Amino acid sequence: MQIQVKCSCGEEKCPEWAIVELQGVVEVQPSFQGTVQNLEIGQLCRPSSQENYTFTVGYHELSGSKVPLKKPFVVLKKTRHLDANQNGDSKSSSVDLEVVGIIRHRILFKSRPKALISKPQPLVKEKVSAGGSVAPDQLA
Amino acid sequence: MEQKQSGCTGGAEAVLNLQPNSSISITYHPHFGPHDDLILLEIDDKLLPDVLHQRVTLRGQPNEDAVLCTQSKTYSIKFVGNSNSVFLIPPVDQSALHEHPQYSDEKDDDQRVVASVIKVAPGNMELVEVAPRLDKLKLLLLENPFTSEEVSEKEELEGMEEQKTNLFKWNDLIDRVQASDDELRSGLRALSAVEIDGYWRIVDEKYMGTILNMLLHNSVLNDWSLDALGEDEVVGVLESDGFPRTLGLHCLQVYGSKVDEGVGSCVWKLDERRLCIHFAREILKDGKRKMESFMEEWIQKIPDGMQASFDMLEGEVLTEKFGVETWVRAFSVSSLPSNPAARFSMLFQERPKWEWKDLQPYIRDLTVPGLSSEGLLLKYTRKTQPNSDAEPVFSAR
Repeated sequence: MQIQVKCSCGEEKCPEWAIVELQGVVEVQPSFQGTVQNLEIGQLCRPSSQENYTFTVGYHELSGSKVPLKKPFVVLKKTRHLDANQNGDSKSSSVDLEVVGIIRHRILFKSRPKALISKPQPLVKEKVSAGGSVAPDQLA
Repeated sequence: MEQKQSGCTGGAEAVLNLQPNSSISITYHPHFGPHDDLILLEIDDKLLPDVLHQRVTLRGQPNEDAVLCTQSKTYSIKFVGNSNSVFLIPPVDQSALHEHPQYSDEKDDDQRVVASVIKVAPGNMELVEVAPRLDKLKLLLLENPFTSEEVSEKEELEGMEEQKTNLFKWNDLIDRVQASDDELRSGLRALSAVEIDGYWRIVDEKYMGTILNMLLHNSVLNDWSLDALGEDEVVGVLESDGFPRTLGLHCLQVYGSKVDEGVGSCVWKLDERRLCIHFAREILKDGKRKMESFMEEWIQKIPDGMQASFDMLEGEVLTEKFGVETWVRAFSVSSLPSNPAARFSMLFQERPKWEWKDLQPYIRDLTVPGLSSEGLLLKYTRKTQPNSDAEPVFSAR
């Protein structure tokens, strides 16, 4: 079997995707489990002209920076086709792979989070009151 | 309770181009989910143009681990897990992801710049250059070697629908063998395979011997020089002797090399070493022989003007001493697997201990990307050297 890796975007126009990477897991409050779509995870902020970033998730603030990937990632999308053959009783599937994007950078948060207990930011407060807050767990 | 409206108004672009002193809300995408159909593949910068210009393919049967092939190289694909949370953010215009757009309820005045996460990637795929898996090619082609019977049958079956079982065209091989196009081509060359009526075949050794003998016989009759054989003449005479053109030409390719591509006919020179090896194999195919009788028969079989020397048989025969007698027997490197672990296992089955000069011809063709021949020896053998002057001896690990 042979699958050609397709790419309709070409070299110049391959859309760039982004990665925000942090240690540990972000846990959603139990009431939102399974319905996280559209929910806010946190606020990504670039406080200066340097490539340093903060990511505020609930009461926690992470500090990190934008780093180039040593080797880029391509984002592949796999599509499975079911081809029924003529007599229709046996089915075989074929797979298409297409490059839909490329990733050259990630914004990496590898340090432990700082707690924002003494002075929570207004935005976080608002979000908490809206009930849509998520809190990082086991950040280590 | 006000739920924040978050389309993907900013997307990856907004994250990557975030201006100093500004911030952006990172949300879960309206279609957030496991999305197992989205795969991250780490690609070396030098391979990237091949990928983006659709010059790479994945090859393998459903029961095999897929490999990725470029025009010239083969890579195995490994999954590398990542225990971090990798939030994957697509660009805004990823129509591929939204099969059912559903943003009609979005209110313009409430729109803020957000970037949404489509999935948390559990890791990525990584490529590791590997040797092509060509042992299977040999197995496939040996299922149905081309023999002299087929030539006579073909005449009888003229015009009838032929049965093509266990025969493979180029595209069938690409489907079955995990190797790049270039590697597959050189694998076919190494096996002395030939394309007959669109199918890639190995020609039965006995039949090849018959064609070669006929060629040598004709060269004596017609007073041809083995260093300058006119292609048209040689192939033409062989054809009149009942050997198809393709096979006459194949015989020249296997036992000779082109010396001159003239405007009209090419000129070929038979290769002394390949001919000598052929006759040695022919003598030894029924079993081992005493050195003296082997040498006598061998030298006698070799065409006039060619010189046989025992060194030519490196990687083809092994010698053994029993008392005062030395015996020779066939043990050809081409009959051994190309996978290093299997190769060394066969070698140590043959002999528990090898001296370097005997071992070298049986491993010099092994290539493992990223591993030198010293590395191979360290990995698969134990080296012992009784004292610093003695020859090192290699045994199984």
